Amino acid sequence: MEDEQLSRLLPDGVDEREADALDRTWQMLGAIEAPAPDGGRMRARLDAVIDAVEPFRRGPERSAPRRWMFHSYALQGLAAAAVLVIGVGIGSYAARRPQTDSVSEIAAMRVEMHDLREMVSLSLMQQQSASERIRGVTWTGQLDRPSSEVVSALLDTLMHDSNVNVRLATIDALERFASLDEVRRGTIEAVERQPSPLVQIALIDFMVKTNERESAATLRRLSQDPQANDAVRARAAWGLQQLG
Amino acid sequence: MHAVRGGDVAKLGVLFERYHRPLFDFLVRMTGNATAAEDLVQDVFVRVLKYRATWRDEGRFETWLFRIARNARADYFKSRSADAPIDEAADHPSGALPAIDMLARDREVARLQQALMLLREDKRELIVLARYRGMKLEAIADLLGVEVGTVKVRMHRAVKELRDIFLRLNESPSWKTNNSVGSCPTA
Repeated sequence: MEDEQLSRLLPDGVDEREADALDRTWQMLGAIEAPAPDGGRMRARLDAVIDAVEPFRRGPERSAPRRWMFHSYALQGLAAAAVLVIGVGIGSYAARRPQTDSVSEIAAMRVEMHDLREMVSLSLMQQQSASERIRGVTWTGQLDRPSSEVVSALLDTLMHDSNVNVRLATIDALERFASLDEVRRGTIEAVERQPSPLVQIALIDFMVKTNERESAATLRRLSQDPQANDAVRARAAWGLQQLG
Repeated sequence: MHAVRGGDVAKLGVLFERYHRPLFDFLVRMTGNATAAEDLVQDVFVRVLKYRATWRDEGRFETWLFRIARNARADYFKSRSADAPIDEAADHPSGALPAIDMLARDREVARLQQALMLLREDKRELIVLARYRGMKLEAIADLLGVEVGTVKVRMHRAVKELRDIFLRLNESPSWKTNNSVGSCPTA
């Protein structure tokens, strides 16, 4: 911290008394402390970004396949940063490499990028913070063809996550994969098992939206279940009607 | 930076070790929020990677780095105002700043700190750069793209306004609630 006299930083002609008063304030500023950064955590995040960039910089022929290891503290910001950097990598490769080489290289990079997105999603879904888990669930929206691991993680989140908002976000995320058998089965099973009426209603809407006729029996049971929430019963009856 | 620009991205770690503390200090004093400052430091180094080809040897690296930091901070608050506010302290500089408040040694220093956060961002930035980063007038002028004389005039106004706010806070601690000067950043 500099203890330089303020007068050197001021224009000429400032009144001496005023300059003294301002200098006292200036000196007092030195007593304001700032927190220290968590250098280790920040460095870990940066290293994760560098790790994400290096294979692409070296080229696919020399980068051995690797598993991405994510520490929980490395996740905030890493996801966006890594994909941004990889995206830039893909772009610059396309621009620099001869056409014949670049096609297979870009394809290889896309595969790695897809793997990276999956790993980020899965890791975020395991975080303590509900908002992080929502981010993980939302990240799956960037996957064209999710692995069975990702689909299972989403269904597991739908069934067992303690936070209603996370479960609701999961229903939105699953909509893209509604054609998969395990998603259809999992969501139908979840309707009756959900403790939250809000999530139950969202699932009923999901069934209607995806025209899931196999859910008819479940919705019928729910619409007649005296234990069910009134709004859920009514929504289930409406869903049955919609599915015809 | 030569190595990083040449493609040796692992050398970014060396730059990080050298500059993450001053960057963090600048950003935490500007935002009043340690978490946001950490995110922004991360963002700065990602931008260094992204824009490494644009760095020219003739310029001071630190000035280039702080220019990136200023842009990252501006973008951060732009995106925050577009979305729902995530961090209260970041969006309301005049509000509670628990992390820093805890470090304040006495009431007067705490009030001066409050005054600093109430100061308009461009003025606060000048003070932070000169007082805490120890930047010379010439470097600040280069960073802001203005003449040294302009920096001096602005510095005078900034410190004067800081003192005025500080004195008003001393007279009436509730003054800040009706006078959120710092919440309107200007160019």
